This record gives sequence, structure tokens and C-alpha cells, in this order.
Amino acid sequence: MINEWLTRIRFLVKRPKTADLDDELQFHVEQATAANIAAGMTTEEARRRALIGFGGVERAREQCHEQRPGWWLGTVAQDVRYALRGFRRNPVFTITVIATLALGIGATTAVFSVVDRILFRSLPYAQDDRLVSFGLVQSLEKQEFTLGAFFYEWRDNQRPFAAVTFERGASACSLTEANPVHLQCAEVAQNFLPTLGIALELGRNFLPEEDLPNGPKVALISDGLWLSRYNRDAGVLNKSIEIDGHRVRIVGVLPKDFEMPRLQPTDVVLPVALDVAAQPTVNSGLGYPLWAFARLKPGVSVAEAKAELEPLFLHMQQWIPPQIRQDFHLQVRSIRDRQMEEAYLVAWVLLGAVLAVLLIACANVASLFSARGAARQRELAVRSALGAGRARLIRQTLTEAILLAVAGAAAGCALAEILLRVFIAIAPTSVPFLAQARLDLRIVLFTVLVALLCAALFGILPAMEKPRAAALAARQTRSGAHARFRRVLVAAQIAVSVVLLSGAGLLVRSFWNLEQQSLGIETRHVLTVRVPLNWERYPTDQAYFDFFARAEAALRRLPGVTAVGVSDSLPPDGNSWHNGGRFDDLFVAGRPHPPAGTGGTVVERSVTPDYFRVLQIPLLEGKGFTEEERTSSSDFMILSKLLAARLFPQGDAVGQHIQLPTYRPYFALNGPVFTIVGVAGNVKNAGLTGQDDPEYYTLRRNRGQEWRGHCVLLLETALPAAVVAPWVRSQIAQLDATAPVEIETLHGQVSQLADRPRFETALLGFFALCGLLMAVIGLYGVISFVAAQRTQEIGVRMALGATRLDILRLIAAEGVRLIVLGGVVGLGAALAAARLLKSLLYNVGPHDPAIYAAVALLLALVALAATLIPARAAMKVEPVEALRYE
Amino acid sequence: MPPSTDLLQGTLDLLILQTLALGPMHGWGVAQRIQQVSNEVLQIGQGSLYPALHRLEYKGWIQSGWGSSENNRRAKFYSLTATGRKQLEAELETWERLSSAIGLVLGTVPEASA
Repeated sequence: MINEWLTRIRFLVKRPKTADLDDELQFHVEQATAANIAAGMTTEEARRRALIGFGGVERAREQCHEQRPGWWLGTVAQDVRYALRGFRRNPVFTITVIATLALGIGATTAVFSVVDRILFRSLPYAQDDRLVSFGLVQSLEKQEFTLGAFFYEWRDNQRPFAAVTFERGASACSLTEANPVHLQCAEVAQNFLPTLGIALELGRNFLPEEDLPNGPKVALISDGLWLSRYNRDAGVLNKSIEIDGHRVRIVGVLPKDFEMPRLQPTDVVLPVALDVAAQPTVNSGLGYPLWAFARLKPGVSVAEAKAELEPLFLHMQQWIPPQIRQDFHLQVRSIRDRQMEEAYLVAWVLLGAVLAVLLIACANVASLFSARGAARQRELAVRSALGAGRARLIRQTLTEAILLAVAGAAAGCALAEILLRVFIAIAPTSVPFLAQARLDLRIVLFTVLVALLCAALFGILPAMEKPRAAALAARQTRSGAHARFRRVLVAAQIAVSVVLLSGAGLLVRSFWNLEQQSLGIETRHVLTVRVPLNWERYPTDQAYFDFFARAEAALRRLPGVTAVGVSDSLPPDGNSWHNGGRFDDLFVAGRPHPPAGTGGTVVERSVTPDYFRVLQIPLLEGKGFTEEERTSSSDFMILSKLLAARLFPQGDAVGQHIQLPTYRPYFALNGPVFTIVGVAGNVKNAGLTGQDDPEYYTLRRNRGQEWRGHCVLLLETALPAAVVAPWVRSQIAQLDATAPVEIETLHGQVSQLADRPRFETALLGFFALCGLLMAVIGLYGVISFVAAQRTQEIGVRMALGATRLDILRLIAAEGVRLIVLGGVVGLGAALAAARLLKSLLYNVGPHDPAIYAAVALLLALVALAATLIPARAAMKVEPVEALRYE
Repeated sequence: MPPSTDLLQGTLDLLILQTLALGPMHGWGVAQRIQQVSNEVLQIGQGSLYPALHRLEYKGWIQSGWGSSENNRRAKFYSLTATGRKQLEAELETWERLSSAIGLVLGTVPEASA
């Protein structure tokens, strides 16, 4: 066997000379002639007989050649040359096919590469599909969490999990030694790493005794920190470092791909060292908030785990005050869902859109090949008559398909790379992992294969048919079956592009609404300044107040700064931190209280008087907060118009009193009584798309406890941010040189909120236009092909007295039929599919008639143009020429 | 394209190998030899002889070299290689089995129907 192959390879390299074969055959004929002469014939006759006996010399020679291994390689080169000649002769066909393929392959590859990271990314944990996140959700916190007061009871009594662990979040910390750096330190339980199945790169996990209060202080550091600070030195183990003033020993290095399940950036992981016994007493008896994760036991599903946890949840409910008990729910979901749930819909919509584009591209290629095949029937018949075998004809067509697919794939890969960069550039940060998307070779191969398959399949179909003698004789090449097939393809393309266009139209409309809506605040000329202070350096509330009061005064003195306000949070983002309460927590003096558990949530902000001036929120009633009141001992409150209307439908809000309950004991009405001093205009406060919540403002007075925690300074200035920012930095640095300063424009922050809808709209819009373009190219191709095929018929009709308008109508009717058919089917499908988009839409229904009308109109116009151009060409045909055609 | 021959598919290869087993021979010689030995029953068409010779050479079962013929003409001589000899044995065995099987069928059919 090996010998045989070696021989073949040898012959492949060493070409036998044609002269040798000629000599050999010549010798044979001479021998035969000699034999005939010996039998008594004349020389002439002997030679003649010998040649007759031999048969076709040329044929024998050909057949000998064909025995050569690798003989077919030569024919491939021949096929390629032939195909290239054909492409040059027909550049429109070639370019259209390559462009269509490039667009289809490029777009599909780029989008697959993106959604692959979102939908199918594997988490950096062992058997990540068995890991879940569990806890409570409520209207004020929709991401599940647990509390120290009941977590341990759950942990010890649960059955569905093989292991349960938790983390306490990551917060700012500093390496307080030579060259101090700001880091993020996460606190995790001792069994956190083993439960998630994370193997350390170096060193060991915490020991149980290190996870006890006052235990030995140890830390794990991230791979990034190990590299940047210790240059990957293995000697870092057991090194003592100082974090926020405490000596801590490094015991291990986290793996390179380490990430917290909630994706917080983390440089250092510390043992949480939670005082379990103290949990029922700290934090108003709730215990510290914890985020719990667990590994499911083998064979237990997420739904089963939730059902098994239900009794524990019901037991825990006794402990929630009855007023808000109904608001709490149990949530169990995979870690992947927790990370990605919100990105799923976008990912699926993109995937659907890009598959639709691929479908249109394939249909286009198929229809182009089919049209070409039909036009080439005569050529195929001629080649067949000249002795080309069926296999040879199919191979020829296949060669063309492969050549085009390869060219299209190469262009497509280049396009995919460009598109991917564009995606990453315009993608919002709220789509996790998008920035890490890379072109995936498997995906490139997959799309190339799909394109190749559809080109090959539809390219070969005409070649598969036995070339009929009729095709040779026919004065006209027509193929009814192919024409019908192409029409169906074009109608399908139109239908799919209608679906794409409607989806894109809805998103564009929704994005328009989003951009045009009134936020209730002025975002231009507003700078926000955040100074995250180190709690160790500012241990008391008073220290906090002193710093920010001085900062406020210093910034006021800056030239060009017309007002400085202070708040704890900012609209319109509803997802970033803000204080919130429940509507039924507001007790209006002298009015009946609404039933518990009704009214939803309320946003609360603690602001200085200038907050309203900087954001230009109008005061509709009352005088609002004054600077003098900041030193007052009374409590003041401003309601939003929405809240005022709900609490005081008669419009007599100003001057009324509202009391908030305290939480120990729960709902004891001994909190401060606020006097309402104003009603302010409504402000968008639950994100750009969210339903607005009622809101109230409390006056931020000059008291330490009202300044601890979140604090953001707002500057009103007509100067550009680039000018003011260095001044702000130097002012803050004069107060505390080590304090980090974050300066942003409010406009930029609001614009970032629109990133995601902008991303979705841009992408879907792009695909819809691609789809429409290709569908129109397909339509144009089919109509012009039909027109060309009917040239003779047109000539006859005109000779018999048909006017040019009749001809136009004849050809255009063909196109209109396809447009109507595709359009109606497409609209039906679009109406059905639009429901999926519902949660992405803002202030526009999924069945908005204006959008569908616009899509129908656009399609009708573009498609009619694609029909009329070839139809007009057919109309202008000279009857005499048409009759002579072919 | 299948070689146009009245012979059973594959038997031409066998005949050529068997003929060349006697010693190196040129194409004309192979054709004459088969014709003579078969008492002029098997006429080898040249159109199929040379492609078959080339095919066998490409498979490595026979090899060729230029030499002088009996009448001192330059001629291409084919001879069996070691692989070819093994192949011949294998094919002969197959042929024996096949022909005896056919013989059995042809011999027993009339008896069975009788």
C-alpha cells in the first residue's frame, strides 16, 4: 500500500514525456505493420490495416494520460482558468456575488463573535453550569442578596446544594506603603474559591482560622497586581504588605482569568472574617448584606433547588415586618443568568437579525447562480455535445462556486474585522465582555461553509440536469422551474427584509423618543465632581462634613462657576446607587395612611438648595430650600410634582408635614417631622426608559451625619469641562493631596445611558439596510433576467401592436406581484416578531402603524425602482432587433 | 471512462500481470502473447492495452525501461515488480475462487432444476 502511494507520488513529480508515449505507440504500429507484411500484404496495405487495427491513436494517447495520478489536478487548473475568464466577461455578476457573500459572511461572523461571548461564554469556574446565585429580591433591590441575620440558618438547613458560600462585595482600599496605590478589595468566605472551583495560580486558599474575627490577616492578590507590583516574583508568597494601615500576609495569587461572580473589579481578596454570632444584632438587626452562591448537588435543577429552598424562605418571612413582607421574593438562578440576563434579549435580537441577513445573502447568491445557470444551459449543452462528461460539468460549476465563495469569504473576513472594531467602539459598557470579543475562526469557517453550500447547491442544480438536445436547438433558453424557484427566493428575501426593516424602524423610533424626551433637568453646562474619601483617613461624620463643606466653598470661588450644589445621587440613572423608600413609608400628618404594601417605591435625595439651580429643576410651588435653613434645626422637604399629586390631590402640599418611620423598632413613628416647603418639577429618575418614580428631596443641613456616604458636587459653569477640571483638581488637592477626584460632565453620563439603545438601533438599522439592499439587488436581477428572456416575446407583441406602455406594464407586473407577495408575508411575520422587541422599545408599541406604513412605503418605492429600471429597458427595445434576438 | 473491453472488468490487468510474469515484454509482445495463448479468442484492443499498462505502472505493479526489440528497434519493455508479483498471486487466488464458484453455479443449476 505504502509502495503504491510512493510510486504515485513519484509519478506526480516526474512527468513522463509525451514523446515517449508517441514512440511506444509508434513501435506498436510498426510491429503490426511488420506482422502484416510477413503475412504477405503490400507495405501500403499492411500499414493501413495496422492503423485500423489499432483504433484511435489520439484516443489511446488521451486515455494513457488520464491514467496518470494527479491528472485531474490539471483539469482543475483548466476549470479555474475557464471560470476566471467567465468572471471577467461578466463582472456585474461576479462583483454582486462577492459583495453579497462578503456582507453576509462579514456581518454574521462579527455578530456571532460578539454574541458568542454573551450567550455561550463559559465562566472561569469549574463546572460553571452547576453554580447558582440565590437570595431575596424586592422592589428596591432586584438583584438577589441575603442578610447575615438569616444566611447561616439557610446555609445549615438547605438540602439542594453541595456547598454554599458568599462574598461581601468589593470596595476601595489602598496599599498604604511606599508608592501607595488605590485598589479594590473583595471580602469572601473561606470556602468561596473551592465552592466556585477556582484553582490558585500560586500559594494556598485561606485557612478556616484565618476567616475568624481577629484571626491572622492574610490576602490573595490578583494576577494583575502580581504582575504590576511584584513582576510575577514567586517570592511574593508570605510577603507582608500594608492594606489600609493593617499588616497583611500574602498567601496566594489568583488565576489570570479570575473574576468575582458579580463581576466587580478586584485586586485583592481578603477573608471576610464575619462575626457570625453578632449578625442578629448588627445593622439594625438585619445582619450585613451578603451575596450568596452555591454549587448544586448532582442531578438537582435550578427550579428544584428553588422549590426546596421555599420552606426556608417562608420561615424567614416571619422575621420581615408584615408591612413589607409581600414585597420580598426568593430568587435562585445560575450565575451566568445573573451576569447576563439583561444582555440576552439584545444578543438574541442581534443573532436573529444577522441570521436573517445571512438568509437573504444566501438566497441572493442562490438566485444569481440559478439565473446564470439557466442562461448557460446552451453553453452546457454545447460542452456536453463536445464530449464533456456530467461529472466534468458539475466540477466546472463547483469550481466557480468555490472560487466565488473563497473570494467572498476573504472579503467577508476583512469586513468582519472592521465591523467588530466598530461594534466594540460603539458598544455600551453595560454589555459585559463585548470589548473582549475576537473573531472566532470556527465561526468564520461556519459562515464560509454555509455560503459555499448554498452557492454550490444552487450552482450545481442546473448542471445536474441532463443537458437536453432541445437546449442546443432552442432559439431561446427558458427554464420554467428555475424561474419559479427564483421568484420564490426573491419574494422570501423581500419578506425577510420587511421583518428586519420593521424591527429597525421600531428601534429607531424608540431611540428618537428617548433622545427627544424631556429629562426635567438641564444636563449641559453641568460638571459632576466625586471624591471617594478613604474611610480610614476620615473616621468621623464630622470629618466628612468638614471636607465637603470646604470643597463646596472652594469650588464656589472658582471663576466661571456660577453655582455649586451637593447631592447624594443624580438623576436620571435608576440603576446607579440612590436612596429609596416605599410610598407607604410616608406618613402625612392628619391624613389616613394608605394600606401597607401599596404605592411602589419612592426616590429620595439629600440635596443643598443650589441643587435645583444647577440642574434647573423648576419650583412649581413654595419657596424651596434656602441657604439659611442649612443651619436650622428643623427638617425640610420638597416633593416632586408626581409625589405631591399623589399625597395631596387637592394641591395643598406646601406647609403640610410628613413623618418617616424609624426602623428600630420597625415602623415606630418617632422619626423627624418634615415640613414641605415646595413642589418641584418631575425629573426622569428611573433610567431613560423606566417608569418615573415619585421623588422627594430633603435638605442637606450642616450636620455631619447627613454628609457621610455618597456625596456628589454639581457645578454649573459655562466654561468647557477641560478648562474647569484642572482648577477643580487643584482646589481639592489643596484640601487633601491624596484624595482621588472624578470629574465628568452630566451630559456625558446621560448620553452613556443611551449607549445601549443607540447600539441596538445602529446595529439593527445596519442589518436592515444590508438586507434591503440585497433583496433589492435580487429583485433587480430577477426582473432584468425575465425581461432579457422575454425580449423576443416583447418584439412579437410590439409587432402585433402592443404599445410601449403595455410592455412596461407586462414586465413591471411581474415585479409588483413579487413585491406584494413578499411584502404581505413579511408584514405578517414582522407583526408576529415585533412582540419579542417589546421590552427594548420606549414609548412606541410593537405594532405602531406608522412604522409599518413607513416600512411598506419604503419597500414599495425601492422595490418599484428596482423593477422599473429593467422594465423601462425592455420598453425601449426596438421591435425589429427584438425579433432577431438570438 | 471505463475501458471498452469485452473482458470482465479487472481481468485485463490479471492477464497482463500473468503474461509479464514470464519475463520483460513490450506492449506489442503482451498483446500478441495473450492472443496466441488464448488461441486467438482474446483480442486485446490497443485502445485498452496501453492505458492498462500505464495504469499498472502508476500503481507500481509493473515497471518499464527502454531496450532493443528483436528487430533492433527501440522499444519500451515492461516487467513485473515485487509488489506486482504479490498482487498477481492475490488476484489469481481470487480468480480461482470466482471461476470455481461460477463453475459450481453453472454446473449445478441444470441438475437442481431437473
